[in-house]
Amino acid sequence: MKNRLRVLRAERDWSQADLADRLQVSRQSVNAIETGRFDPSLPLAFKLAKLFATPIEQIFTDEE
Amino acid sequence: MNIQLCNKQLSPLQRRTMALFGANLGLTAVLSLGTHDLVKDLHPSAFLIYFTALLPTVPVIGIVATVGRYLARETDDFIRMLVVQSLLWGLGITFVVDTYLGGLFAHPQIFGLIPILNIDLFCVSVGVAVRIQLWRNR
Repeated sequence: MKNRLRVLRAERDWSQADLADRLQVSRQSVNAIETGRFDPSLPLAFKLAKLFATPIEQIFTDEE
Repeated sequence: MNIQLCNKQLSPLQRRTMALFGANLGLTAVLSLGTHDLVKDLHPSAFLIYFTALLPTVPVIGIVATVGRYLARETDDFIRMLVVQSLLWGLGITFVVDTYLGGLFAHPQIFGLIPILNIDLFCVSVGVAVRIQLWRNR
């Protein structure tokens, strides 16, 4: 699954650690999601959507 | 929140889990070796042999409960996934080593082998696997 997390984070000038703090997860989690090695759970996806004030489908897109 | 499973950056849950894990691990080794010596030196009754053989299983159950408690309470999905993967690696390594040693012990001409405590081997394997997983995902 592709995502725009890195772009959204960069727009706000947040580091991975900043985003991790806001989401209350580890920096490794943010890195794994950004690089597509890990798909977040639904609660975490909603948390991201709320944090970036963006619908989930605008953050995550199906690779196909 | 900085969860890295590194000694200085453990969350309270991880710190508590590590402490419980270590305590149970130490207790398993002490009880296993202690009961082994007891049975070897004192020639106890059959009942006592069965009873003392049960004692080291208590901290093993403690380890399983500790891991279960951690997995249930860990809120970071990614870290939880890494820990579960590491547990599987630990299980695999333990089975492989156990099977290998089982084959060696079947031959009476092989001397000098120290019986390895499976749970200790498992815990060490899991610990190494967690470190490798975190290094890969740093």
